[in-house]
Amino acid sequence: MTTEQTLNNELDRREFIRRASAAAVVSLGAPYVWGQRTDETLVVNSFGGEYQELFEKNVIEPFEKKFGVKVIHDATGTSSQDYAKIRASKGAPGFDVAAALSPPEVILGAKEGLLEKITDKEVPNLKFTWEKARQTLPPVTVIHTLQFDSLLYNKDKVDRPASWADYWQPEKRYGTKVKGHVINYNPANLLSVYALIHAAELGGGGASNMDPAWALLKSQKPYVGAVVTTSAEAAPHFESGEVWLSPYWSARAGYYISRGIPYGMVVPKEGVIANIDSASVPIGAKNKKLAYEFINFMLEPATQRAWCQAYFCSPGRGDLTDWPKAFMDSQIVTKQQFDSVKLPDLDAIGANRKDWTLRWQEIMG
Amino acid sequence: MAGTSKRSRVPAHWLLIAVPAAVLLVFFVLPNALLLSASFLKSEAQQLTAAPTLENYRFLLTRPLYLEVFLRTFVIGLAVGAIDVALGYPLAYFLVRTRSRWKGLLIALSLAPLLASVVVRTYGWYIILNRFGIANDALLGLGMIDQRIAFMPSTGAIVIGLAHALLPYTVLTIMGSLNGINPNLESAAMSLGATRTRTFFNVVLPLSLPGIAGGFILVFSIAISAYATPAILGGPATQVAATAIYGFIMQLLDWSLGAALAVVLIVCSLTLLYAASRLGARRAVL
Repeated sequence: MTTEQTLNNELDRREFIRRASAAAVVSLGAPYVWGQRTDETLVVNSFGGEYQELFEKNVIEPFEKKFGVKVIHDATGTSSQDYAKIRASKGAPGFDVAAALSPPEVILGAKEGLLEKITDKEVPNLKFTWEKARQTLPPVTVIHTLQFDSLLYNKDKVDRPASWADYWQPEKRYGTKVKGHVINYNPANLLSVYALIHAAELGGGGASNMDPAWALLKSQKPYVGAVVTTSAEAAPHFESGEVWLSPYWSARAGYYISRGIPYGMVVPKEGVIANIDSASVPIGAKNKKLAYEFINFMLEPATQRAWCQAYFCSPGRGDLTDWPKAFMDSQIVTKQQFDSVKLPDLDAIGANRKDWTLRWQEIMG
Repeated sequence: MAGTSKRSRVPAHWLLIAVPAAVLLVFFVLPNALLLSASFLKSEAQQLTAAPTLENYRFLLTRPLYLEVFLRTFVIGLAVGAIDVALGYPLAYFLVRTRSRWKGLLIALSLAPLLASVVVRTYGWYIILNRFGIANDALLGLGMIDQRIAFMPSTGAIVIGLAHALLPYTVLTIMGSLNGINPNLESAAMSLGATRTRTFFNVVLPLSLPGIAGGFILVFSIAISAYATPAILGGPATQVAATAIYGFIMQLLDWSLGAALAVVLIVCSLTLLYAASRLGARRAVL
């Protein structure tokens, strides 16, 4: 090989390092350049499906109009998946508001220091939220709506259930015709956890003694026709009419019933457990000021009225009156109604959810 | 120039190797090293601690649920590999040997499944296999069953979905092998009196074994690490390794167990692939 060829084919070490460094700077910097956002852009994470459309229409668009800003709606993931992103990115998941976290993730977020502390100073409307619910959560989140775990039934196929026992022991109430028409949920979904707690309570147990729940799960298994994880995955089973009995979040249940599916929603005689929907700000959020404005806006009376009536959920604050009667009858809007629902035992759920999920998998697998 | 010539030189082609090597180091080796380290750490109340432990592995290797998950994963990998080789070989043979002017189109058609997203293809099977799907409607209509059958969620449904999705990989691999066989060898065998069938089994098939092994290994590897198809057709109650790892990390937020499960999957897969490649090498020598 001649010297000239050598010069053409080889790079000296400095040149190599120079080129490699330039390539690295360009490739590492590119996402920041391309993904650059102005201060007037806010990224909000919540749910997809029908929630997405209603949330954008009733919360995001009015916020954009009022503040003259652009909101990017990241409508992906469940609550635990959203928190997994926050954890994996050490608090900088790419969204400024985690608008759909459930209590177990909020508690974990506070323990791991990945969610910002929020006070009346950042979110003035915080003081109007349900006090008792607020006290169950660490001060890193703001309650914006409530739901509860109702019992959904196919009106064309079965009589109105009255008890959680009608779901857990369907053969006793409905006979063998119900075989294959009961749906069960993976405890990765809080809905399943609540339903299992009801099962435990039916047998004299509870969150601290789940043995009766496992016995009922085993006896229910032959009657289960569908097993899903998320509430959205259950929706096609309702549309096809194949599922006749299901625990279901009250908001989604109300929404689907309003769309004409032949289902009814029941509050079983043993009662229901409230699900607290709340919003938090990850510590690495880029636009925290606007994030707090957004959370505060979610609690504005006009926003609460529009959003809750569109999504059939209960408001996050108890000082609003003049709700339509039909809405008042089916939702939690007064202190008396709030006191009638059970709040979840979050310590027990947080400590045992993994073991419950594994036990559920062993039985259902 | 005199100063430059004294500098140590780096061959230009090193740059070509350095870039992919750096990408692999940063995005594959490093994350896997972190995964490995997390698998030896204890999780308490869904939080990763700094306490070292072997408990995660003990837990996974002693619970029948996870032994079943591994067994199911590898049974699916073997079944999908075998089905795709059995279906892909005749197709590849036909595509290589046909003299049709539509040969190009036929090859494109056989590879068409790769053009659609695996999620779309899998939902196609969902529509066919669910209790109220086309398969049940057809069987009921023909009077072959009187009650709807739950074809899914099941291991069988996962095998069907993956076998369909991965078939093009075996076709491509076996076609490559068949294309490399000198046609004169077949002519020579037949000129010496061998029948077409005997020529196939004594000449073509042995010479195409590397393609079969390659196709099988490729499909097996993809099948045992597949997530979307098992998640859709298996559901949460019919878990395979990938869906269980996802469940631990994204749903239960228990990274230690998720990492340990991932490490066990990687080690088992590498061991099986190494054994298969050694077996292939021995066959080639023989």
